[in-house]
Amino acid sequence: MGHRLSPARRDADLTVRHSIFARITLLSAALSAVLLCGLWWVTDRTINETIAASLREGVDVDLAGLVDIHASGGREELSRRIADRLALVPSDGARAHYLLADATGARVAGDLAEWPGLDPAVSESGPVRIGRQTEAHARATLLPGNLRLLVAHEAPERAPILSRVALVFGLGGAVFVACIALFAQAAGGRVRQRVAGVNAAFRSGDDQALSALAATDSADEIDDIARQAARALQRDRQLMAAYRETSEQVAHEIRTPLSHLDARLAKALADDPAPATAAHLVAARGEIRQLVGTLEALLDIAASKAKQGQRQGMALVDLSAMTARICELYEDSAEDAGYALSWDIAPDVSLMGDEAQLGRILTNLLDNAFKYNRPGGAIRVVLAPGSRLSVADNGPGIAASERERVFERFWRGPSAQAGDQAGAGLGLALARAIAERHGLTLRVMPSEPGAHFMLAPEEG
Amino acid sequence: MKVLYIEDDARAAADMRALGWEQGDTIEVESDGLAGLRRAGMEAFDVIIMDRMLGDADGLSLVARLRDSGVSTPVLMLSALGRTGDRAEGLEAGADDYLAKPFEALELFARIRALHRRASGREHSAVILYGAFECHVKARTAFRSNQHLSLSPREFELFRYFMENAGEVVTREMLLRDVWNMSFDPQTNVVDVNIGRLRRKLEHGFDGPALETVWGTGYRLLDGTPI
Repeated sequence: MGHRLSPARRDADLTVRHSIFARITLLSAALSAVLLCGLWWVTDRTINETIAASLREGVDVDLAGLVDIHASGGREELSRRIADRLALVPSDGARAHYLLADATGARVAGDLAEWPGLDPAVSESGPVRIGRQTEAHARATLLPGNLRLLVAHEAPERAPILSRVALVFGLGGAVFVACIALFAQAAGGRVRQRVAGVNAAFRSGDDQALSALAATDSADEIDDIARQAARALQRDRQLMAAYRETSEQVAHEIRTPLSHLDARLAKALADDPAPATAAHLVAARGEIRQLVGTLEALLDIAASKAKQGQRQGMALVDLSAMTARICELYEDSAEDAGYALSWDIAPDVSLMGDEAQLGRILTNLLDNAFKYNRPGGAIRVVLAPGSRLSVADNGPGIAASERERVFERFWRGPSAQAGDQAGAGLGLALARAIAERHGLTLRVMPSEPGAHFMLAPEEG
Repeated sequence: MKVLYIEDDARAAADMRALGWEQGDTIEVESDGLAGLRRAGMEAFDVIIMDRMLGDADGLSLVARLRDSGVSTPVLMLSALGRTGDRAEGLEAGADDYLAKPFEALELFARIRALHRRASGREHSAVILYGAFECHVKARTAFRSNQHLSLSPREFELFRYFMENAGEVVTREMLLRDVWNMSFDPQTNVVDVNIGRLRRKLEHGFDGPALETVWGTGYRLLDGTPI
């Protein structure tokens, strides 16, 4: 019913959405972008930490120097030196600040107005705020003579260097990712072309293309997989050809002597034999026909199985018309046999398939219903939209344990084993093989009473 | 009828000659595929019977070559390969009919007569007359001795097929193929029952039989005139 995409349609879709190579290109670009972002983050952190460490170190060195000055020069010398240092403006603009205070916290020297919350008794260090905005790192300490000294260095301006790094990573990274993507695209494109070539050879199924593929001798992975696949396909074709040849020969070698035998029986019959002899001859000819029918059914089953999934020789079949025609064909036979045959056929149900074979599924199911129904039973055929065909009767039905076995070759129902029903037990096996060839399933549904066969498209 | 039989099996060829003689037909045998092809091109035959598997050639390609060279003589392909797919291949190659071995002589001759009839261009008109029977194809009505026969649509189709092959043997396989579009004979006796119904409608209230069962697998429409 056209639910499935045609193979050609699927191949066209594959080019963009499902191509391995498009995915590899995208993935490698994304991965390199993520890696670059990580590297950037690490660099940013390292720069920040390095700056903070050198700031701390600078404060400590400065403080140690001032402590030495106090030890050697005393309070006045220290105040003078602090004033000297305050007068000096460093080139990077990161100024130093000082506060020398007495025990009460009153300023002795330095530029800071009040003592920040750092404890000089333990030489505490930490961030302090100079004025309103400026951040600085400071350390405090106690000096002999009940003095306290605080040294604070403003943090140098970090924004310029960090933005430079960001620029380098941003621009450089974009170029890098683009290069990776281009490379992946180019490499993938080549591989894709080769894979497309291999696929085209498989799809065309052309013997020459296959032999060429199977014979390639370069050594990379794609050639290898193509070679293996081509060989497998060639083996498959050889098997198909051998199967075909064998089955044709079997058919020919059995049918030819049978037809000679049949011709002899026909001649014997033409000679006006005694009625009893004639009856035997007629029966013998009937058995020849039955033997031929069995042979054909077996070969048909094998052929249907071998052709599973192949669309060769299929056309749009009007299932509604076919079902109606076959039901009408069986109507009189049902009346004669005392069965109530009824049908309910949805209009315009169609399916891609082989009409002669699809018709065979229905006739085999009807033959089966005629054979195993109870006297005066009913047989109902229903065709529903979506190619769902069911044939149900209200005869003795099929035991749950037998519901799969009925499709085995040479299976015959209990009443057939009693010898009153003709047939080799191949009808349902053949019906199922034909169904599977068409992507349909044929199953026995649980039902009470009677047997209920359901033909429906395979799920999924 | 003059029939060319291309067959490499000498026994089958001899049997066929004898059968043809019994039926009043001339059967010319060629055991070699290419010689058969040449002969089919040079002489006029009513029907060609071709075996599908010849020693030196494949019957399918022979038919295709025959058609390519412009010979339109009807071809019945005879083969030990009798499955649906085999038939389809034969018809696709250009054969007009396909019969599997072993076959009933009756079946074969009914088929080649039908082929010959079709090929000699006896196109059926809107009204087919045969003996006491009338079949109005367009109006879809049937009469016997000017009395209307009330047939269901499918009985009419069956009747029309008999009228188109009036006086000739029509086999069960031909009916299945041409009336019901089926290439195999179901186990249920559908054809016999359908013919039985038609026979009752054609004979009820009239003098004399209308349909004759030909021994084996065939039927023949009689002219239905009172005895």
